[in-house]
Amino acid sequence: MGTRIAAATKPILRARLRSTPANGHVSFVPQIRKLVFEYCEKWPSSANTRTYLLQHVENLAKANPHVEVVVLQRNMREPIVRGFYLNDRDKVISLKESEVNQIQQKVQLLLDSSGAKIKSLKRRPVESTTEATRGIWSGFHTAEPFKI
Amino acid sequence: MSLTHKRLASTAAKLKLAKKTAISTSHLKAFPPPEASSSQFFNPKTWATLQPPPPSSLSAFAHRIGLGQVILSPSSPPSASASAPTGTALLQQALTHPSFVPLFQKHYPNEPLPLTNANLNTVGNGLMGLFAAEWLNAAYPHLPTRVLKAAVSAYVGPVSCANVAKEWGVVPLLRWNRTPSTPLRPAVLHTDALSSVPRALTALIYTHRSLPTARKFVHNFFLSRDVDLRGMIKFRDPKKALSETVARFGRERPVSRLLRETGRFSNSPIFVVGIYSGSDLLGEGFGSSLKMAEFRAAEDSLHRLYLTRTPSHLLSLPTTTFSTSRPSMLDAIPASQSVGQGEGGEGVYVPGELGVTEVLYGSSERSGVKVVGRPVGRGFVDGVEESGEGELEVEGSLS
Repeated sequence: MGTRIAAATKPILRARLRSTPANGHVSFVPQIRKLVFEYCEKWPSSANTRTYLLQHVENLAKANPHVEVVVLQRNMREPIVRGFYLNDRDKVISLKESEVNQIQQKVQLLLDSSGAKIKSLKRRPVESTTEATRGIWSGFHTAEPFKI
Repeated sequence: MSLTHKRLASTAAKLKLAKKTAISTSHLKAFPPPEASSSQFFNPKTWATLQPPPPSSLSAFAHRIGLGQVILSPSSPPSASASAPTGTALLQQALTHPSFVPLFQKHYPNEPLPLTNANLNTVGNGLMGLFAAEWLNAAYPHLPTRVLKAAVSAYVGPVSCANVAKEWGVVPLLRWNRTPSTPLRPAVLHTDALSSVPRALTALIYTHRSLPTARKFVHNFFLSRDVDLRGMIKFRDPKKALSETVARFGRERPVSRLLRETGRFSNSPIFVVGIYSGSDLLGEGFGSSLKMAEFRAAEDSLHRLYLTRTPSHLLSLPTTTFSTSRPSMLDAIPASQSVGQGEGGEGVYVPGELGVTEVLYGSSERSGVKVVGRPVGRGFVDGVEESGEGELEVEGSLS
């Protein structure tokens, strides 16, 4: 029989070969998949929402064919709009004290969002998949050697 | 984790799962289902998996990935029969895995069987492999063969296809059934079912539009993703490989020179070594020892060779010669036609530069070099064939 020698490096298994995502580099997949409007038929807090649903929601659905738009009657409750995203999270915005154009702004906010949790920018360190965009400085590769 | 924590975590997981499997009921023929009240063995979870997704979610999915016009427009390919599905029914077919059919038959024996994506999966898989292989070969002409094969798996393999499907939001739309493995066929897992969807969609685009359109689809969603090719190219002895490669190219023998150093004899020295062929610097490497720096420099030189990339404006792909009309078995491409028309001026196809094949050292069993993982000395043919494995460390069952 022959002899085998051990591999010099860790073997790369075919089942583990994969690529990492790059949404937006060439094609963009919008992250919102569904918008649900919940309103009450009688209460005055839903009056503006009812106006919006009668006048604007159809145009909204036509302008955003990638979003499922659902209108749900929920009586004796305050009006809300709920957005469902591809990362299995949802965002809920109350439309209780909103004028009709403010409702449009809130809906646009949901349409533009990625569904990720909002984290404070204050104390988070930099997160990146790459080391650096311009390369990492090296004292050995300057025109004049760096002297401490 | 304490018991209380474990209970809370499992309850939260169950609730999350319940949220995921919630389905809308407005498109169903009858709700609540008649079997719920009549039979005592009604399982709501099974019933939920058997229901088709609502047409609105299918249409939203098609528009989300930019296929609204392709799939949902009423045109159909010339070879399609009158009963071929169109619109959301076509998309439904692409989203139904063959493992779903036995489950459906068991619960609805009198209904017509749902169409599955088995054939589309096979066609799409071949197409995706074709597009990935031709692009990688054109973009990286000097890439070693085994690395090329691994890169094709990384770009359009089962894991990537499943991940892309998840990112598209296919999970609530997919109809499948988990089946354990039998002696006759392997198991069907979630990744297997998910990975069939992008392949089926590629095949659909090919049949309903053209091959160049299908190629654009694969380039947009798969070949634009990131794969670390550098990490796939590994060497047992890069210095030896480099010296033989340089000899193959007919250049001067490589010489390593110390470019910079600091901290020699301290506990953290740094050496920067460059490998020169004559006066041309082939590669540079750092290390805490001279040998390590030289090793990295040789690796760097070989990476710079193997990973040379054709600029995208000089890239020419063989499939640009295919016609931009719908594929039909009756079409014969005439001998004079070699231009892909109507694709934004692709022009005449010019074959790209053929890269020099990688050096295979230890080229016969008589040299006495042992090869990685393969028994040596089984005969002349085996020795010749296995000679290449010594250089590259791409393992797994790639051959």
